[in-house]
Amino acid sequence: MRVRQKVQTIIVELMLILLSLTIIVPLLLMILGSFMNNIEVMQFKIQLPEKWLFENYVTVFKEGGLARAFVNGVVITVISCSVNIVTSSAAAFILARRETKLSSFLYLFFFMGLIAPMSTITTIRVVQWLGFYGSISSVVFIYAALNMAFSIFLYSGFVKSLNKSLDEAAFIEGANALQVFLKIITPLLLPVNATVAIMVFMGVWNDISIPLYFLPDSSNWTMPLSVYNFYGMYSRDWNLIFAVLVLTSLPVIILYVFAQKFIVSGMTAGAMKG
Amino acid sequence: MHKSKSMYPYYLVWPALIIYFIFFAFPALIGFYYSFTDWRLDRDTIQFVGWDNFKAIFSDKVLILALKNTLIFAVVTVIGKNIFGLLLAIGLNMKLKTRNVLRAVYFSPSILSILVISIIFTPILRTEGMINSLLGKLGLESLAQAWLTNPSIVVWTIAAVSIWQSVGFQMAIYLAGLQSISKEYYEAAKIDGASAWRSFTNITLPLLLPAININIMLTLIGGLKVFSEVYVLTGGGPGNASQVVGTIILRAFGEGNWGLGTAVNTLLFISVSVIAVPLIMFMRRKEVAE
Repeated sequence: MRVRQKVQTIIVELMLILLSLTIIVPLLLMILGSFMNNIEVMQFKIQLPEKWLFENYVTVFKEGGLARAFVNGVVITVISCSVNIVTSSAAAFILARRETKLSSFLYLFFFMGLIAPMSTITTIRVVQWLGFYGSISSVVFIYAALNMAFSIFLYSGFVKSLNKSLDEAAFIEGANALQVFLKIITPLLLPVNATVAIMVFMGVWNDISIPLYFLPDSSNWTMPLSVYNFYGMYSRDWNLIFAVLVLTSLPVIILYVFAQKFIVSGMTAGAMKG
Repeated sequence: MHKSKSMYPYYLVWPALIIYFIFFAFPALIGFYYSFTDWRLDRDTIQFVGWDNFKAIFSDKVLILALKNTLIFAVVTVIGKNIFGLLLAIGLNMKLKTRNVLRAVYFSPSILSILVISIIFTPILRTEGMINSLLGKLGLESLAQAWLTNPSIVVWTIAAVSIWQSVGFQMAIYLAGLQSISKEYYEAAKIDGASAWRSFTNITLPLLLPAININIMLTLIGGLKVFSEVYVLTGGGPGNASQVVGTIILRAFGEGNWGLGTAVNTLLFISVSVIAVPLIMFMRRKEVAE
């Protein structure tokens, strides 16, 4: 029995390792290819480059005009993340604590945002009415709004797990809701903040569809759309295309390496509680 | 009671509500109205045209195909992502020496942009690409396909790429679910002489229900909203063979057919709600019953 189980485990392990090649090979194709010259790369084979051409990355940054897209991406991502975190954690705190019909209606109203698809064309109209269509700030608000449902869902699950007597003790000492939120609840929400920040960061950084509709001027583009444009222009230089793809992915990879714990545990905990 | 209510004032809800309303909910609401108009880029006046847009959608072969493709994509990806995700999670929940590395490997594509994934797969899926040459080496030339240019399989190919990307994410959620199941249940079942299959169907599956629910919901809603992978891999082609609702809306927008594009969006809204809301309610009830 014991031996059989051991053999079983080994077989499963070997199968999973073999299967993981389907994930590793395409990613390796990109990484190795990004250091090759433009003839070698066209074989699309997994092999070490004859000579490691680190200058591909320099070329890409200079010719692709990606520095600008990188900065745009950072600005849009960081601000929309912050706006989302501050507003949705405050809202979730109230909605989770109040047990009234109105508050549960509002929660459902936000929750619909998880299901309903965004109405792109009419959103453009609304942004035009407000007079800032095409601007980076319009996109910041759109991303904050698009991720609101998810954040409120995560935060309110967490707030509900915090004992209400924490707040009540502070209220008795004369604190108001804002003070309770800032001094008692916010410190406890830090791990959720990290999860929300990472999820929103990855979603916004990786997104291509919103810039496609909302940023007609290419100088406002974030990385993915610039990369897509680059891909169209340099379709013969796959080494450069691969280098661009690696560059775009670098921020999320770094984030993942350092904050892995928050991504997986936070996300799944939130998902389970809901 | 009254006092405890006033302790939590609504002014802290306002900022979130205003942003969400202006940039998400309000556009969705007026979308219903604009779906019934002839709203166009090149015309100043907007007229109410009743059901015309919807009639146009259902008499246009390309639009019907796009609706069909979206449904196929959603169903295929929900099944693929969940079955493979669950199998991976069960495997990687065993005491394997390499399990932490393998978990990270399987999870890694889901942090990357779908744009990056789609571009990587373009040369791999070409007729003379990696997959077909691998099939050739294995002596399976007959299975080689024009993955992205054969109209009858292109949607399936795109679905496969999508499954490849996000299966690790589903795996992570299933793993968390599996880890929350107490080992005592399995030990008790073993003592009672239950087979592995029986303890899977009688212990694992029911206790995994919350994870199954959240995964089905996420993959279904994501599948119906599909856009980027189609846009990058095929642009809706060859011809219109892989058009989905998301790419049709972009096309209508580009052509200035805003009323029609909004009507397509409304149709998507209704389909998602009709499928997802009862599903969520059904699953919630089942979860409570467990």
